[in-house]
Amino acid sequence: MTRAHGSVLPDPVKFVLTWGRRYSLWVFNLGLACCAVEFVAASMSQPRFGRLGAIPLADGPQHADLMVVSGTVTDKMAPAVQRLYDQLPEPRYVISFGACSNSGGPYWDSYSVTKGVDQLIPVDVYVPGCPPRPEALLQGILRLQDTIAGEADALTRRVTGRRLTAPLVRPHLAGP
Amino acid sequence: MAESSQRRHGADLARGLAVALGALAARIDPSRYPNTLPALPPRSRGVIALFEENCTVCMECARECPDWCIYIDSHRETVPATVAGGRQRHRNVLDRFAIDFSLCMYCGICIEVCPFDALFWSPEFEYGEYDVADLTHEKDRLRAWMWTVPAPAAHEPLV
Amino acid sequence: MDAAALAGMGGRASQAYGLWCVDVPAASWKFSVEDARDSYGLSYLDWLCGVDEEAGGFSILAHVLNPDTMAHLLLRTRVTREDPRLTSIAAVHHGAAWHERETAEMYGVTFDGHPSPGPLLLPDCFEGHPLRKDFVLVSRVVKAWPGAKGPGENDATVVPRRRTLRPAGVPQPGEWGPEDGGG
Repeated sequence: MTRAHGSVLPDPVKFVLTWGRRYSLWVFNLGLACCAVEFVAASMSQPRFGRLGAIPLADGPQHADLMVVSGTVTDKMAPAVQRLYDQLPEPRYVISFGACSNSGGPYWDSYSVTKGVDQLIPVDVYVPGCPPRPEALLQGILRLQDTIAGEADALTRRVTGRRLTAPLVRPHLAGP
Repeated sequence: MAESSQRRHGADLARGLAVALGALAARIDPSRYPNTLPALPPRSRGVIALFEENCTVCMECARECPDWCIYIDSHRETVPATVAGGRQRHRNVLDRFAIDFSLCMYCGICIEVCPFDALFWSPEFEYGEYDVADLTHEKDRLRAWMWTVPAPAAHEPLV
Repeated sequence: MDAAALAGMGGRASQAYGLWCVDVPAASWKFSVEDARDSYGLSYLDWLCGVDEEAGGFSILAHVLNPDTMAHLLLRTRVTREDPRLTSIAAVHHGAAWHERETAEMYGVTFDGHPSPGPLLLPDCFEGHPLRKDFVLVSRVVKAWPGAKGPGENDATVVPRRRTLRPAGVPQPGEWGPEDGGG
């Protein structure tokens, strides 16, 4: 019903909607394994992605916009992951954080591991690493914000496929 | 019970909004990510870079990788004899060298086992993608990471 | 814990890595665990698990400790592959219930008298016993090993090589799966 309306929204309205949506992401951490600790480091410690507008204080999946799947998804946990994703209200986004939730990671050959959370739910951004740095999660959130900015259909979230082609600010690396 | 959860949710909302508005009002801190890279220790493991000129296609890295995430294709070329009556040589030419970073667990076995120093660690970590297939980096992208490989760290002084 | 006391438990005692291990026959498994608890004060069960001895069946091990003296002991018994049954020691150590459930689903050993048998860690529709040595990891069969190619080899050409390497845990083609000849 609203898909037809979304494409005829004037640009200023679309801009405001996508601006509000991407700078007020309520984050629900589905912390399953080691990557959950890196998520906590990213949200509570020095990097603190609250500066980007992503609020890690969601009361549960029903109060969240963004679900970060951090850790190994086992076959026994898979129905629970599916149920949690179903409880996320629209518009909803998923970041797959770490090698295990990207593709099974180091447990790609296990008898009990789901080879990537994208076998169960659609994923917007994949953050590689084992575990990824907390700053890598911030970069993943920035990429997600670019996706949200590029949404043509701001009411129902149809993504145009706009990609970040220019590299992020990468100043000179101070090292030994 | 409903009233207290409503009040709690209102308190959470107020807390979240306070965080957001506080961030809106605050000055951008130029010393924190993403405005500055974090202080990465030496030998940080971010991504693996390939120096193609050193690779002889010995396949050791592909064999030893525990995740089976290094994909190598090559073909054999015949180099004619340089001297009259000499023997023709065979040379292996690398066609495809790809590392699937969605599987990689950053153990470093491929870099340690390479006898020809063709693989290097780089501290770059900003390569999250929208599509998991884009996490498989081909030869050209692995070469591009070479420009980010730091000089080897100095040995720690003997105590 | 000296060798004489251990031999008095009715089994064969051996020592490895500073840990005494007593092998008892399967028929006296529950009695041995009870005796260890009552006569020697080994009243804390640390863990119970199985080992796939292939042709020799399955070994079931229990690590018990004396919480006062911190003396510890490994009790071991053997069940056959054809009929892997053992008496449950959940009545002796309540904590053994979960360990026995895990050993049952991972090795296929049946514990008689278990208060609440059933799978513990594996999903409901799981087939097979994963920690048996003949359990094949499907991912390693389905995915082509990138190291199988030799230098100068790609999907189109095969270069004859002196030795063919095989990664661990991957069976020979035709040994397992739809093309195993019904074996």
